[in-house]
Amino acid sequence: MKDIDFDKYKSAWEEEKNFDMKILSESELSKYLKKRSKGITNSFRIGLIIDIILKIILGISSIFLIWLYSNHAGIITLCSILFALTCYLLLFQFKTYDRIPRQEEYSKNLRIFLENKIRFYRTKYFKSVYIIALSNPIIFISGILFYFHFKYSGVRSLDFIDFFVFSLICITGFILGALIQTKQYNFHIRQMEECLNELDDDGIYELILKKQVKQQKILLLIFIIILVAGLSALGYILIL
Amino acid sequence: MEIRSEKEFLEQIKLHQNIIHKICFIYCKNKSDKEDLYQEIVLQLWKSYQSFNGRSAFSTWMYRVALNTAITTTKKFCFFVDTGGLPDIAFDNECMIDLSEEIKLLYKAISQLDKVEKAIILLWLENKSYEEISDTIGITVKNVSVKLVRIKARLAITIKHLQ
Repeated sequence: MKDIDFDKYKSAWEEEKNFDMKILSESELSKYLKKRSKGITNSFRIGLIIDIILKIILGISSIFLIWLYSNHAGIITLCSILFALTCYLLLFQFKTYDRIPRQEEYSKNLRIFLENKIRFYRTKYFKSVYIIALSNPIIFISGILFYFHFKYSGVRSLDFIDFFVFSLICITGFILGALIQTKQYNFHIRQMEECLNELDDDGIYELILKKQVKQQKILLLIFIIILVAGLSALGYILIL
Repeated sequence: MEIRSEKEFLEQIKLHQNIIHKICFIYCKNKSDKEDLYQEIVLQLWKSYQSFNGRSAFSTWMYRVALNTAITTTKKFCFFVDTGGLPDIAFDNECMIDLSEEIKLLYKAISQLDKVEKAIILLWLENKSYEEISDTIGITVKNVSVKLVRIKARLAITIKHLQ
Protein backbone atom coordinates (compact mmCIF):
# COMPACT_ATOMS: atom_id res chain seq x y z
CA MET A 1 0.00 0.00 0.00
CA LYS A 2 2.94 2.31 0.77
CA ASP A 3 4.03 2.21 -2.90
CA ILE A 4 0.70 3.42 -4.21
CA ASP A 5 0.32 7.18 -4.50
CA PHE A 6 -3.43 7.67 -4.18
CA ASP A 7 -3.14 11.43 -4.62
CA LYS A 8 -1.91 10.78 -8.17
CA TYR A 9 -5.12 8.85 -8.88
CA LYS A 10 -7.25 11.47 -7.14
CA SER A 11 -5.70 14.23 -9.28
CA ALA A 12 -6.24 12.14 -12.42
CA TRP A 13 -9.89 11.71 -11.39
CA GLU A 14 -10.31 15.47 -10.88
CA GLU A 15 -8.61 16.30 -14.15
CA GLU A 16 -10.45 13.69 -16.24
CA LYS A 17 -12.25 15.68 -18.92
CA ASN A 18 -14.41 12.83 -20.22
CA PHE A 19 -16.92 13.16 -17.37
CA ASP A 20 -17.65 16.76 -18.39
CA MET A 21 -17.74 16.16 -22.13
CA LYS A 22 -20.91 14.08 -22.38
CA ILE A 23 -23.34 16.88 -21.57
CA LEU A 24 -26.92 16.24 -22.63
CA SER A 25 -29.12 19.16 -23.61
CA GLU A 26 -32.25 20.08 -21.64
CA SER A 27 -34.49 18.69 -24.39
CA GLU A 28 -32.57 15.40 -24.33
CA LEU A 29 -32.82 15.26 -20.54
CA SER A 30 -36.54 16.03 -20.54
CA LYS A 31 -37.13 12.82 -22.55
CA TYR A 32 -35.87 10.84 -19.55
CA LEU A 33 -38.52 12.41 -17.31
CA LYS A 34 -41.31 10.86 -19.37
CA LYS A 35 -39.92 7.32 -19.08
CA ARG A 36 -41.17 4.74 -16.57
CA SER A 37 -38.94 3.57 -13.73
CA LYS A 38 -37.51 0.06 -14.15
CA GLY A 39 -36.93 -0.31 -10.40
CA ILE A 40 -38.55 -3.11 -8.40
CA THR A 41 -40.62 -0.71 -6.29
CA ASN A 42 -42.37 0.47 -9.43
CA SER A 43 -42.87 -3.02 -10.81
CA PHE A 44 -44.30 -4.12 -7.43
CA ARG A 45 -46.61 -1.08 -7.43
CA ILE A 46 -47.91 -2.03 -10.90
CA GLY A 47 -48.35 -5.68 -9.81
CA LEU A 48 -50.28 -4.51 -6.75
CA ILE A 49 -52.61 -2.31 -8.85
CA ILE A 50 -53.31 -5.25 -11.19
CA ASP A 51 -54.08 -7.48 -8.17
CA ILE A 52 -56.42 -4.86 -6.68
CA ILE A 53 -58.34 -4.70 -10.00
CA LEU A 54 -58.40 -8.51 -10.17
CA LYS A 55 -59.71 -8.81 -6.61
CA ILE A 56 -62.45 -6.24 -7.31
CA ILE A 57 -63.52 -8.38 -10.30
CA LEU A 58 -63.39 -11.52 -8.11
CA GLY A 59 -65.53 -9.81 -5.45
CA ILE A 60 -68.14 -8.86 -8.07
CA SER A 61 -68.07 -12.37 -9.55
CA SER A 62 -68.69 -13.83 -6.03
CA ILE A 63 -71.88 -11.75 -5.79
CA PHE A 64 -72.84 -12.90 -9.28
CA LEU A 65 -72.27 -16.54 -8.26
CA ILE A 66 -74.52 -16.07 -5.19
CA TRP A 67 -77.22 -14.87 -7.59
CA LEU A 68 -76.62 -17.77 -10.02
CA TYR A 69 -76.74 -20.40 -7.25
CA SER A 70 -79.55 -18.75 -5.28
CA ASN A 71 -81.14 -22.15 -4.59
CA HIS A 72 -77.94 -23.85 -3.38
CA ALA A 73 -77.27 -23.05 0.29
CA GLY A 74 -73.75 -24.60 0.27
CA ILE A 75 -72.57 -22.53 -2.68
CA ILE A 76 -74.13 -19.37 -1.22
CA THR A 77 -72.14 -19.96 1.99
CA LEU A 78 -68.96 -20.65 -0.03
CA CYS A 79 -69.36 -17.56 -2.23
CA SER A 80 -70.18 -15.40 0.79
CA ILE A 81 -66.95 -16.59 2.42
CA LEU A 82 -65.06 -15.91 -0.84
CA PHE A 83 -66.61 -12.43 -1.04
CA ALA A 84 -65.73 -11.60 2.59
CA LEU A 85 -62.22 -12.98 2.10
CA THR A 86 -61.72 -10.98 -1.11
CA CYS A 87 -62.91 -7.78 0.60
CA TYR A 88 -60.53 -8.35 3.54
CA LEU A 89 -57.59 -9.07 1.20
CA LEU A 90 -58.48 -6.04 -0.88
CA LEU A 91 -58.38 -3.86 2.23
CA PHE A 92 -54.93 -5.24 3.07
CA GLN A 93 -53.68 -4.56 -0.47
CA PHE A 94 -54.91 -0.95 -0.25
CA LYS A 95 -53.03 -0.53 3.05
CA THR A 96 -49.88 -2.06 1.50
CA TYR A 97 -50.13 0.32 -1.46
CA ASP A 98 -50.25 3.20 0.98
CA ARG A 99 -47.10 1.93 2.73
CA ILE A 100 -44.89 1.52 -0.32
CA PRO A 101 -41.72 3.54 0.46
CA ARG A 102 -42.32 7.10 -0.67
CA GLN A 103 -40.16 9.12 -3.01
CA GLU A 104 -38.81 11.27 -0.15
CA GLU A 105 -36.89 8.19 1.03
CA TYR A 106 -34.38 8.73 -1.79
CA SER A 107 -33.27 11.99 -0.16
CA LYS A 108 -32.32 10.21 3.10
CA ASN A 109 -28.88 8.81 3.82
CA LEU A 110 -28.01 5.37 2.44
CA ARG A 111 -28.38 3.51 5.75
CA ILE A 112 -31.88 4.87 6.52
CA PHE A 113 -32.90 4.43 2.89
CA LEU A 114 -31.85 0.75 2.89
CA GLU A 115 -33.33 0.05 6.36
CA ASN A 116 -36.75 1.47 5.39
CA LYS A 117 -36.81 -0.34 2.07
CA ILE A 118 -35.79 -3.69 3.55
CA ARG A 119 -38.26 -3.34 6.45
CA PHE A 120 -41.07 -2.82 3.94
CA TYR A 121 -40.01 -5.74 1.74
CA ARG A 122 -39.44 -8.16 4.62
CA THR A 123 -42.78 -7.41 6.32
CA LYS A 124 -45.60 -5.82 4.29
CA TYR A 125 -44.31 -6.86 0.89
CA PHE A 126 -44.17 -10.62 1.55
CA LYS A 127 -47.67 -10.67 3.06
CA SER A 128 -48.85 -8.81 -0.02
CA VAL A 129 -47.11 -11.28 -2.36
CA TYR A 130 -48.84 -14.23 -0.64
CA ILE A 131 -52.15 -12.37 -0.95
CA ILE A 132 -51.47 -11.81 -4.68
CA ALA A 133 -50.76 -15.55 -5.00
CA LEU A 134 -54.08 -16.34 -3.22
CA SER A 135 -55.85 -14.85 -6.24
CA ASN A 136 -54.92 -18.00 -8.22
CA PRO A 137 -57.02 -20.48 -6.13
CA ILE A 138 -59.85 -17.92 -5.84
CA ILE A 139 -59.89 -17.52 -9.66
CA PHE A 140 -59.90 -21.30 -10.04
CA ILE A 141 -62.77 -21.84 -7.57
CA SER A 142 -64.86 -19.04 -9.10
CA GLY A 143 -64.06 -20.28 -12.60
CA ILE A 144 -65.05 -23.86 -11.82
CA LEU A 145 -68.35 -22.69 -10.27
CA PHE A 146 -69.13 -20.66 -13.42
CA TYR A 147 -68.19 -23.67 -15.56
CA PHE A 148 -70.45 -26.00 -13.56
CA HIS A 149 -73.34 -23.59 -13.81
CA PHE A 150 -73.12 -23.06 -17.58
CA LYS A 151 -72.23 -26.69 -18.39
CA TYR A 152 -74.42 -28.63 -15.91
CA SER A 153 -76.78 -25.87 -14.67
CA GLY A 154 -75.60 -26.58 -11.14
CA VAL A 155 -72.81 -28.17 -9.14
CA ARG A 156 -71.90 -31.55 -10.50
CA SER A 157 -71.57 -34.20 -7.80
CA LEU A 158 -67.91 -34.55 -6.86
CA ASP A 159 -66.11 -37.60 -5.51
CA PHE A 160 -62.94 -37.64 -3.46
CA ILE A 161 -60.64 -37.90 -6.54
CA ASP A 162 -62.26 -34.81 -8.15
CA PHE A 163 -61.82 -32.88 -4.96
CA PHE A 164 -58.22 -34.07 -4.57
CA VAL A 165 -57.33 -32.91 -8.11
CA PHE A 166 -59.04 -29.53 -7.61
CA SER A 167 -57.26 -29.01 -4.29
CA LEU A 168 -53.94 -29.91 -5.87
CA ILE A 169 -54.51 -27.31 -8.62
CA CYS A 170 -55.40 -24.66 -6.00
CA ILE A 171 -52.39 -25.37 -3.79
CA THR A 172 -50.00 -25.58 -6.77
CA GLY A 173 -51.41 -22.30 -8.12
CA PHE A 174 -50.77 -20.58 -4.79
CA ILE A 175 -47.29 -22.04 -4.23
CA LEU A 176 -46.14 -21.36 -7.82
CA GLY A 177 -47.49 -17.80 -7.72
CA ALA A 178 -45.78 -17.10 -4.38
CA LEU A 179 -42.55 -18.83 -5.40
CA ILE A 180 -42.10 -16.95 -8.69
CA GLN A 181 -42.70 -13.57 -7.02
CA THR A 182 -40.59 -14.18 -3.91
CA LYS A 183 -37.72 -15.73 -5.86
CA GLN A 184 -37.54 -12.71 -8.17
CA TYR A 185 -37.67 -10.13 -5.37
CA ASN A 186 -35.57 -12.10 -2.87
CA PHE A 187 -32.61 -11.68 -5.22
CA HIS A 188 -33.01 -7.92 -5.12
CA ILE A 189 -33.74 -7.77 -1.37
CA ARG A 190 -30.64 -9.87 -0.60
CA GLN A 191 -28.50 -7.45 -2.57
CA MET A 192 -29.84 -4.56 -0.49
CA GLU A 193 -29.26 -6.56 2.70
CA GLU A 194 -25.67 -7.23 1.68
CA CYS A 195 -25.18 -3.46 1.32
CA LEU A 196 -26.70 -2.83 4.73
CA ASN A 197 -24.52 -5.53 6.28
CA GLU A 198 -21.49 -3.75 4.79
CA LEU A 199 -22.51 -0.63 6.73
CA ASP A 200 -23.26 -2.58 9.90
CA ASP A 201 -19.98 -3.18 11.69
CA ASP A 202 -21.64 -4.24 14.96
CA GLY A 203 -23.57 -7.12 13.36
CA ILE A 204 -26.83 -5.88 14.92
CA TYR A 205 -28.66 -5.84 11.63
CA GLU A 206 -27.78 -9.46 10.86
CA LEU A 207 -29.72 -10.54 13.99
CA ILE A 208 -32.76 -8.45 12.99
CA LEU A 209 -32.53 -9.91 9.50
CA LYS A 210 -32.49 -13.51 10.75
CA LYS A 211 -35.61 -12.76 12.82
CA GLN A 212 -37.36 -11.23 9.79
CA VAL A 213 -36.52 -14.24 7.57
CA LYS A 214 -37.87 -16.60 10.28
CA GLN A 215 -41.10 -14.55 10.52
CA GLN A 216 -41.43 -14.70 6.75
CA LYS A 217 -41.20 -18.53 6.75
CA ILE A 218 -43.83 -18.74 9.54
CA LEU A 219 -46.07 -16.46 7.48
CA LEU A 220 -45.85 -18.72 4.41
CA LEU A 221 -46.68 -21.74 6.60
CA ILE A 222 -49.73 -19.92 8.04
CA PHE A 223 -50.95 -19.09 4.51
CA ILE A 224 -50.60 -22.74 3.40
CA ILE A 225 -52.44 -23.98 6.54
CA ILE A 226 -55.27 -21.48 5.93
CA LEU A 227 -55.46 -22.55 2.27
CA VAL A 228 -55.60 -26.26 3.14
CA ALA A 229 -58.23 -25.60 5.85
CA GLY A 230 -60.26 -23.53 3.36
CA LEU A 231 -60.08 -26.27 0.74
CA SER A 232 -61.16 -28.90 3.30
CA ALA A 233 -64.20 -26.75 4.12
CA LEU A 234 -64.89 -26.44 0.38
CA GLY A 235 -64.66 -30.23 0.00
CA TYR A 236 -67.12 -30.64 2.87
CA ILE A 237 -69.60 -28.32 1.12
CA LEU A 238 -69.20 -29.83 -2.36
CA ILE A 239 -68.93 -33.56 -1.54
CA LEU A 240 -71.43 -33.93 1.30
CA MET B 1 -45.68 23.11 -1.04
CA GLU B 2 -44.07 25.05 -3.86
CA ILE B 3 -44.30 23.18 -7.15
CA ARG B 4 -40.88 23.33 -8.71
CA SER B 5 -40.69 23.67 -12.44
CA GLU B 6 -39.29 21.14 -14.85
CA LYS B 7 -37.17 23.86 -16.46
CA GLU B 8 -35.52 24.76 -13.14
CA PHE B 9 -34.81 21.07 -12.50
CA LEU B 10 -33.33 20.49 -15.96
CA GLU B 11 -31.08 23.53 -15.60
CA GLN B 12 -29.70 22.15 -12.33
CA ILE B 13 -29.21 18.67 -13.80
CA LYS B 14 -27.45 20.11 -16.83
CA LEU B 15 -25.07 21.96 -14.52
CA HIS B 16 -24.27 18.86 -12.43
CA GLN B 17 -24.51 16.15 -15.08
CA ASN B 18 -20.93 15.01 -14.53
CA ILE B 19 -21.99 13.61 -11.12
CA ILE B 20 -24.39 11.19 -12.84
CA HIS B 21 -21.74 10.28 -15.44
CA LYS B 22 -19.24 9.48 -12.68
CA ILE B 23 -21.73 7.34 -10.72
CA CYS B 24 -22.73 5.44 -13.88
CA PHE B 25 -19.05 5.00 -14.71
CA ILE B 26 -18.33 3.50 -11.28
CA TYR B 27 -21.40 1.22 -11.07
CA CYS B 28 -21.80 -0.06 -14.63
CA LYS B 29 -19.78 -2.36 -16.80
CA ASN B 30 -21.14 -1.60 -20.25
CA LYS B 31 -22.78 1.14 -22.31
CA SER B 32 -26.30 -0.29 -22.16
CA ASP B 33 -26.19 -0.61 -18.32
CA LYS B 34 -24.87 2.97 -18.11
CA GLU B 35 -27.74 4.28 -20.21
CA ASP B 36 -30.29 2.40 -18.10
CA LEU B 37 -28.80 3.66 -14.84
CA TYR B 38 -28.50 7.20 -16.19
CA GLN B 39 -32.20 7.18 -17.07
CA GLU B 40 -33.18 5.71 -13.68
CA ILE B 41 -31.11 8.30 -11.78
CA VAL B 42 -32.55 11.26 -13.73
CA LEU B 43 -36.06 9.88 -13.20
CA GLN B 44 -35.59 9.37 -9.43
CA LEU B 45 -34.02 12.82 -9.10
CA TRP B 46 -37.02 14.35 -10.86
CA LYS B 47 -39.53 12.41 -8.74
CA SER B 48 -37.65 13.38 -5.55
CA TYR B 49 -37.14 16.99 -6.58
CA GLN B 50 -40.21 18.19 -4.64
CA SER B 51 -38.60 16.90 -1.42
CA PHE B 52 -35.38 18.87 -2.03
CA ASN B 53 -35.59 21.48 0.71
CA GLY B 54 -32.52 23.53 -0.24
CA ARG B 55 -30.91 23.10 3.20
CA SER B 56 -27.98 21.38 1.53
CA ALA B 57 -26.36 22.17 -1.81
CA PHE B 58 -28.12 20.75 -4.86
CA SER B 59 -25.04 18.66 -5.69
CA THR B 60 -24.97 17.13 -2.16
CA TRP B 61 -28.64 16.15 -2.44
CA MET B 62 -27.95 14.84 -5.94
CA TYR B 63 -25.15 12.55 -4.70
CA ARG B 64 -27.57 11.07 -2.11
CA VAL B 65 -30.42 10.35 -4.52
CA ALA B 66 -28.11 9.15 -7.30
CA LEU B 67 -26.10 6.85 -5.04
CA ASN B 68 -29.26 5.44 -3.39
CA THR B 69 -30.59 4.72 -6.88
CA ALA B 70 -27.35 3.19 -8.17
CA ILE B 71 -26.94 0.95 -5.12
CA THR B 72 -30.50 -0.37 -5.20
CA THR B 73 -30.75 -0.75 -8.97
CA THR B 74 -29.98 -4.28 -10.02
CA LYS B 75 -30.57 -6.20 -13.17
CA LYS B 76 -33.73 -8.29 -13.16
CA PHE B 77 -33.35 -11.74 -11.64
CA CYS B 78 -33.13 -14.57 -14.13
CA PHE B 79 -34.21 -18.05 -12.99
CA PHE B 80 -31.72 -19.91 -15.15
CA VAL B 81 -28.58 -17.79 -14.87
CA ASP B 82 -26.64 -17.25 -11.67
CA THR B 83 -26.12 -13.51 -12.03
CA GLY B 84 -24.78 -13.15 -8.50
CA GLY B 85 -21.57 -15.11 -8.83
CA LEU B 86 -19.98 -13.57 -11.92
CA PRO B 87 -16.67 -11.76 -11.37
CA ASP B 88 -16.46 -8.09 -12.32
CA ILE B 89 -14.04 -8.48 -15.18
CA ALA B 90 -16.17 -7.62 -18.18
CA PHE B 91 -15.04 -4.14 -19.12
CA ASP B 92 -16.54 -2.33 -22.03
CA ASN B 93 -13.51 -1.23 -24.04
CA GLU B 94 -15.59 1.22 -26.06
CA CYS B 95 -16.20 3.33 -22.95
CA MET B 96 -12.56 3.17 -21.83
CA ILE B 97 -10.76 4.29 -25.01
CA ASP B 98 -10.53 8.03 -24.26
CA LEU B 99 -9.64 7.72 -20.58
CA SER B 100 -6.20 8.31 -19.07
CA GLU B 101 -4.15 5.28 -17.98
CA GLU B 102 -4.58 6.18 -14.28
CA ILE B 103 -8.38 6.30 -14.63
CA LYS B 104 -8.46 3.00 -16.51
CA LEU B 105 -6.43 1.36 -13.77
CA LEU B 106 -8.49 2.98 -11.03
CA TYR B 107 -11.72 1.88 -12.70
CA LYS B 108 -10.55 -1.72 -12.92
CA ALA B 109 -9.54 -1.68 -9.25
CA ILE B 110 -12.77 0.01 -8.10
CA SER B 111 -14.89 -2.49 -10.05
CA GLN B 112 -13.65 -5.19 -7.64
CA LEU B 113 -15.14 -3.34 -4.64
CA ASP B 114 -18.57 -3.83 -3.07
CA LYS B 115 -21.37 -1.37 -3.79
CA VAL B 116 -21.02 0.58 -0.52
CA GLU B 117 -17.23 0.70 -0.85
CA LYS B 118 -17.66 2.11 -4.35
CA ALA B 119 -19.88 4.88 -2.96
CA ILE B 120 -17.35 5.78 -0.24
CA ILE B 121 -14.34 5.88 -2.59
CA LEU B 122 -16.32 7.87 -5.16
CA LEU B 123 -17.17 10.53 -2.55
CA TRP B 124 -13.53 10.59 -1.44
CA LEU B 125 -12.36 11.03 -5.05
CA GLU B 126 -14.88 13.85 -5.36
CA ASN B 127 -13.08 15.65 -2.51
CA LYS B 128 -15.94 15.28 -0.05
CA SER B 129 -15.01 15.68 3.60
CA TYR B 130 -15.36 12.76 6.04
CA GLU B 131 -18.37 14.57 7.57
CA GLU B 132 -20.07 14.81 4.18
CA ILE B 133 -19.35 11.13 3.42
CA SER B 134 -20.69 10.21 6.86
CA ASP B 135 -23.87 12.25 6.18
CA THR B 136 -24.46 10.67 2.77
CA ILE B 137 -23.77 7.07 3.76
CA GLY B 138 -25.15 7.14 7.31
CA ILE B 139 -22.12 5.89 9.22
CA THR B 140 -19.96 7.66 11.79
CA VAL B 141 -16.98 9.81 10.78
CA LYS B 142 -14.68 7.34 12.55
CA ASN B 143 -16.22 4.50 10.58
CA VAL B 144 -15.68 6.43 7.34
CA SER B 145 -11.99 6.77 8.10
CA VAL B 146 -11.67 3.06 9.01
CA LYS B 147 -13.48 2.01 5.86
CA LEU B 148 -11.38 4.30 3.67
CA VAL B 149 -8.17 2.76 5.03
CA ARG B 150 -9.52 -0.72 4.22
CA ILE B 151 -10.74 0.31 0.77
CA LYS B 152 -7.42 1.94 -0.12
CA ALA B 153 -5.58 -1.19 1.01
CA ARG B 154 -7.80 -3.32 -1.26
CA LEU B 155 -7.33 -0.91 -4.16
CA ALA B 156 -3.56 -0.89 -3.66
CA ILE B 157 -3.41 -4.68 -3.92
CA THR B 158 -5.51 -4.71 -7.08
CA ILE B 159 -3.60 -1.83 -8.72
CA LYS B 160 -0.26 -3.51 -7.98
CA HIS B 161 -1.60 -6.71 -9.45
CA LEU B 162 -2.82 -4.93 -12.59
CA GLN B 163 0.34 -2.85 -13.17
